[in-house]
Amino acid sequence: MDQFRPLVLGSLVTVFAIAVSSFPSPPEAQAIPAYARKYKVNCTVCHTRPPRLNTFGERFLENGYQMPGTEDGGIVGKKQLGDLTLDDVTNYLAFRLRGNFLRNFNFARKSPGPDVPGNPEDRTDFGWPETFQLFTGGTLTTNVGFFVDVTHDLPAGNTDIARGYFSLNNLGFHNLAHLRIGKFDPSAYSSFPLLRQQLDFVRPDVNSGVLDRIPLASNAFAAKFFGLFERDGTPIAPFRASLFHSPNEVGIDVHGRPFGDWFLYQVGILNGANETFGDSNNPKDWYVMVRLDQAESDLFSANISGFAYFGNNNAKVALNNSDVSWSQYGVSATVRYKMVDLYGAYVIDRVTDLPQALASGFDTTASGVTVEADVLATDRLLLSIRYDHLDAGGFLAQRKSNSLLALQAKYYLRTNIALFIRDDFNLRKAEGGVSPARNFRNAFLVGADLIF
Amino acid sequence: MLLRFHFLTVILVIGGLLVSNVHAIQTEPTPEIIARGKILYDRSCIFCHGVQGKGDGPAAFFGASYWAPRASDFTVGQYKFRSTASGKSHTDEDLFRIITNGVPGYMPPFVGWPEEDRWHVVSYVKTLHSTNSRHNEKPLETFQIGTQNVPLTVESIEQGRQVYFKFECDACHGHNARGDVPDFEAQDLKDNLGMPIRPTDLDLTNPYSFKNGAAAHDIFGTLMTGLIGTPMPSYADAFAQHEDDAWHLVHYILSLSQGSGP
Repeated sequence: MDQFRPLVLGSLVTVFAIAVSSFPSPPEAQAIPAYARKYKVNCTVCHTRPPRLNTFGERFLENGYQMPGTEDGGIVGKKQLGDLTLDDVTNYLAFRLRGNFLRNFNFARKSPGPDVPGNPEDRTDFGWPETFQLFTGGTLTTNVGFFVDVTHDLPAGNTDIARGYFSLNNLGFHNLAHLRIGKFDPSAYSSFPLLRQQLDFVRPDVNSGVLDRIPLASNAFAAKFFGLFERDGTPIAPFRASLFHSPNEVGIDVHGRPFGDWFLYQVGILNGANETFGDSNNPKDWYVMVRLDQAESDLFSANISGFAYFGNNNAKVALNNSDVSWSQYGVSATVRYKMVDLYGAYVIDRVTDLPQALASGFDTTASGVTVEADVLATDRLLLSIRYDHLDAGGFLAQRKSNSLLALQAKYYLRTNIALFIRDDFNLRKAEGGVSPARNFRNAFLVGADLIF
Repeated sequence: MLLRFHFLTVILVIGGLLVSNVHAIQTEPTPEIIARGKILYDRSCIFCHGVQGKGDGPAAFFGASYWAPRASDFTVGQYKFRSTASGKSHTDEDLFRIITNGVPGYMPPFVGWPEEDRWHVVSYVKTLHSTNSRHNEKPLETFQIGTQNVPLTVESIEQGRQVYFKFECDACHGHNARGDVPDFEAQDLKDNLGMPIRPTDLDLTNPYSFKNGAAAHDIFGTLMTGLIGTPMPSYADAFAQHEDDAWHLVHYILSLSQGSGP
């Protein structure tokens, strides 16, 4: 009975949220983070609901934080240095606090048990916020933009420049080429960007170095391999977003729409190997992405992206072995019609140059699928459902595939303040076993996402 | 209080300057100009207004979602934000002004476009109105706002407050002009698209609510022209012999927007 308690509780809260949100209450025009403040518009001008971008917001991002179709250099709010006020500063600064107030995890088999690794136990705990992000970004002058994301991970106690880059836009002629240089997320312009999902990443449970519960993440973007190492010997978690879908890699990329709005290209070259500075493996990783768009009328838009990421000596399969090349290929797509936003990705990862001695025990191909549907049930209530499947690769003795289903109700008090409840189900728990991918049953989460 | 008057006076002056800025000279639209306007429209405007200008662009739903306002339908050829009398068509300067200043909360300003480009977009947008017969009409008469004769004083603000209640502005905008009408019959209000619209969209204490502009001249214009397609009527007839009352009301409304109600 206990195992159903979170589900019952979740259902009750969902019903409550729907009931509350059914009271007529219109959205208020409100300027929120930096760009909205700067242009004096509601954040839904660019977002379906934050953090997802709508078509207008996608083009604003592509254009280096300038209005689509313009090369205005963010002219709104531009002043002489001596005339700057605090209001002007806030046009370039924003922050975000997010995390789960309540986390409830349930497992099929609890420890202590001689055959159960780690210490998985049903538990409920509190903790908010989990992540603090300070953003600054915008335009420095015509066709020169910048963006910095300083992230503090509270449970880990780490502060890092998660992203930091500047951009040179509209090189040649309008929309021919936009250049990004620095530490950035390569998938930002694809149909399914890693960092713009309504269901946030939920960190794994690790006890004394043993994984008790897998993280709740988009499997399409995961590393997918069990037994890969970075070149410095750090294990690569199979659920960590990687390569084209890494949240931050250092390099240069170029994108543009030279033939019109229907076609976008992107090419990039990175240090790869998750190396922030320097490049110990010397050969670079590189990638190419093309995206086709239909975005004209009828409150409808659709796009499809295909990409290939070519890794060069960017990982190891064992500490003493030579480098392998780890690459990624995939397609993603988005369809939006009125209040419905459907998006998904299918990604294949492949390891080549594997030492012959390991060939028989290592699956060099892995794949992942993530599909999500968001429905704006009212102007304040966003309902989401996400399916994730991982067909894992790597050492045959270690790998475990998994399938997850997540449901979320997100209630926007304002368009920048959201409360959410969420339940993630392990669809393969019936298969049993003691691995973290099987033993985990479900997670019930209540949290908040604030952007100012 | 004196500081407040100075601040309001500065706003009035700046508002006048802004108005004068949009009185730029446009050239007669040629096929080349319209073609250039279409290129710019397709790059920037299509996402909300749609390829045919019906207000059904791929991002149009998300601005206010289930509520008004939606992006304008250019094929109808009616615009909320005009300088002409209720029921009359708009001027090209009206379109130019909206493109330049945007609509606070819902449409970003495109002041970054060169002035010439903004006029090109005006020329193209006019072609989207299927029965565009503007060129056959007599020159449109706009409200001559000009220089107001009513000085900004405490008495003027107080008179404006009385006008506010006399004309029952509080029925929609509330006793404190914050859209906080208790029984809220106004919830049934709809715009011409059938979208529900609430007085909080017209919250006079929030500068972003001044969709037609927050300068004194803009507010005066809104009172005189109304916002066609919304429940906001024109008060031009009511103020016909009492234009000073309109300015008193403008002063009262502006006094609310400085963060301290009456």
